[in-house]
Amino acid sequence: MSEKHGKHIAIYGKGGIGKSTTTSNISAALAEAGYKVIQIGCDPKSDSTTILRGGNDLPTVLDTLREQSKVKIEDVSAVGFGGVLCIEAGGPVPGVGCAGRGINAAVELLQELNLFEEYKPDFVLYDVLGDVVCGGFAVPIRDGIADRAFVVTSSDFMAIFAANNLFKAINKYAPSGGARLGGVIANSIQAPYAKSLIDDFTQQTGTSVVGYVPRSFTVAQSELFGQTVIEAAPKSEQADVYRNLARFIDEHQDSVIPHPLNGPELKKWARTWGDRIFEVETGVVQKMESI
Amino acid sequence: MAHHIEGSRNSCALHGALQVIEAIEGVVPVIHSTAGCGVQHFLGVNRLNAGSDRFGGPPVSNSNISEKHVVFGGSSRLREQLKNTVKIVEGDLYVIVTGCSTEMVGDDIPAMTKEGRDQDFQVIYANTPGFRGDVHQGYQLAVKALIEQLPALGKGEQSSVEGLVNIWGIVPHQDPFWAGNLEEIGRLLEGIGLKPNLLFGYDQGLSSWNRVPNAALNIVVSVWGDSPAMLLEERYGTPVLKLEGLPVGSAAGRFLQTVSDRLNLDLTHTENFIKSEEKRLNTYLASLADTYYRAGFQREFAFVGESSQVAGLSEFLTGTLGLIPRTLIITDNPPEYAREALLSRLTGLVEGYSTEVVFSEDHAEIIDQVRSGAAELVLGSALEEQVALALGVPFLQLSFPLSDKVVLSRGYSGYRGAAALLEDLGSAILSN
Ligand SMILES: Nc1ncnc2c1ncn2[C@@H]1O[C@H](COP(=O)(O)OP(=O)(O)O)[C@@H](O)[C@H]1O
Ligand code: SF4
Ligand SMILES: [Mg+2]
Repeated sequence: MSEKHGKHIAIYGKGGIGKSTTTSNISAALAEAGYKVIQIGCDPKSDSTTILRGGNDLPTVLDTLREQSKVKIEDVSAVGFGGVLCIEAGGPVPGVGCAGRGINAAVELLQELNLFEEYKPDFVLYDVLGDVVCGGFAVPIRDGIADRAFVVTSSDFMAIFAANNLFKAINKYAPSGGARLGGVIANSIQAPYAKSLIDDFTQQTGTSVVGYVPRSFTVAQSELFGQTVIEAAPKSEQADVYRNLARFIDEHQDSVIPHPLNGPELKKWARTWGDRIFEVETGVVQKMESI
Repeated sequence: MAHHIEGSRNSCALHGALQVIEAIEGVVPVIHSTAGCGVQHFLGVNRLNAGSDRFGGPPVSNSNISEKHVVFGGSSRLREQLKNTVKIVEGDLYVIVTGCSTEMVGDDIPAMTKEGRDQDFQVIYANTPGFRGDVHQGYQLAVKALIEQLPALGKGEQSSVEGLVNIWGIVPHQDPFWAGNLEEIGRLLEGIGLKPNLLFGYDQGLSSWNRVPNAALNIVVSVWGDSPAMLLEERYGTPVLKLEGLPVGSAAGRFLQTVSDRLNLDLTHTENFIKSEEKRLNTYLASLADTYYRAGFQREFAFVGESSQVAGLSEFLTGTLGLIPRTLIITDNPPEYAREALLSRLTGLVEGYSTEVVFSEDHAEIIDQVRSGAAELVLGSALEEQVALALGVPFLQLSFPLSDKVVLSRGYSGYRGAAALLEDLGSAILSN
């Protein structure tokens, strides 16, 4: 690739963990701060940018590619809140075809169409299905597409498991020019032990948490309006949480190559946390700070 | 351990399956894969065969899928291709064969086949991506598909045929002399009163395949016939007779004797038939005697070919003709369980002489072996021509791929094949 336009950031995480919500709010906050932003949904669910666009329909890149041989950027993009350019890669009908190759084909097409050269964004955010089930979903962190990846996780084991899988993929591709890890975004923080658990996981894997996003009613409410928190409740505390995340991503460039835990290590680690949480719930441990 | 293979002569499973289908009259292949899979079959197999089949070229039907079908699934493309093929190419049976790309994506081929059948198309399928194995694997997969799926089409003949025997293990085109070899084995079996079911080649169509379950015996000529024979034994209880290689010359006599025993045939009749065949071949051998000594037939030879061919022909060349097996190279990757038997048989072909037996499909290794063996005669494929030239010794092409001859009905099996081998070997020696 020739000269790179803007900072390219991939956001991964287990399905339903809050990637799209978090990414859209970061995009909105960056746009609010005056930056030119593109958000690309790389998830066959195709709902990454919904709350940036008031819930309007947007044809996906792959659907358009299926119907017409020649695709223009205008056909597959919409301008959302604060001027964020919204694109959805799309994917096949569940159970048919190869979604991984689909992500690959969509990202390739956007490059061929000179999207970045022509739009000249300050930030490009890729919102990627995070279980990294096959090579296709690793495309945004390979081939020098994204510079940094962030992973959204909650304190649920399955979310941590998906984050650990992403670490494995980064660990594999980073040495040959793939993206490195910008950090972990802890989402839906509610349970008293959630922060400590995620902190401990990052410590074990040589990574760090870049922001704690509380589980908030404002998020749910804004979603119902088809809006980000930044748009629907700009004065809320939650909006500031996202603004801080956006500022962090803007101001910090450091990144690491994580050290994922292997299968048995991860299980063992999870078990120790299982015991500790049990002790808290049953009152053996009185003070939260003790864990 | 992983190692690299240079210039392999074993094409992929898809191609093996195509070779099976194309060798059965009235059966039409429909490839569901990328365009290159069909073209590669033409360039890599048919064109190196000097003699091709009805669909043995670029005109073979292929869904030619592209990226769109990988992303969204290619089933609808296959549906369309099947419909068009049935319209354009007349056939008794259509066989969908898949390549790597469509199998990776996971297109639902059984469902598409069923859809075709619901429209009264005679269609079956075989999953044959190259990553499942090589051409021999493809032979087994396609044959298995035919055995398992043909009965469901409801065209099977239930009336049993007295003395019917199926022949398995000769892979069309991978054995360039497959048609002739099958015909001769058929002629011999007919000679002792049996009804051979050759399954491939001239006049072998669906009716032959529908008779398969009714056979009294399955004869397995190479290790690649093991799996069909086992499947038939499981399904229909048909007994199996395994040969140690292509039966050539007097080995054919022993073969007929064994079949006779197994099926309780009239032994006198069998013996008389064998006697007359032996007599004929001996007459030819006697006519060769003069040339044999003058041109010095008795040489150390290197032989590069498939297991059943190397085993069968080498036995005749050494046992009957007195040649000496220096280096025998087996290129078809026989499974582990078959290697030991091959090794012990082939290393001890000539008592007190140690024969080098090598299993390899790597061209570079094969060439090295042939060169260092410094044999006085090289039998092999077109790929061994250069090394034979360098050694300055007579050279005969008789394994895949061939470049210097057209093969239609010629074969090296049985008694007639033995005579043909004498002629070709003699010509190679005289013209050196
Ligand atoms: N911090 C949060 N507080 C409350 N609800 C949240 C929060 N983050 C995400 N959600 C809700 O969780 C659901 C899934 O989020 P989404 O961003 O679509 O997940 P993903 O993109 O990872 O599949 C949405 O209904 C969203 O509103
Ligand atoms: S190996 Fe796979 S891709 Fe290659 S020709 Fe065979 S089926 Fe096609
Ligand atoms: Mg999402």
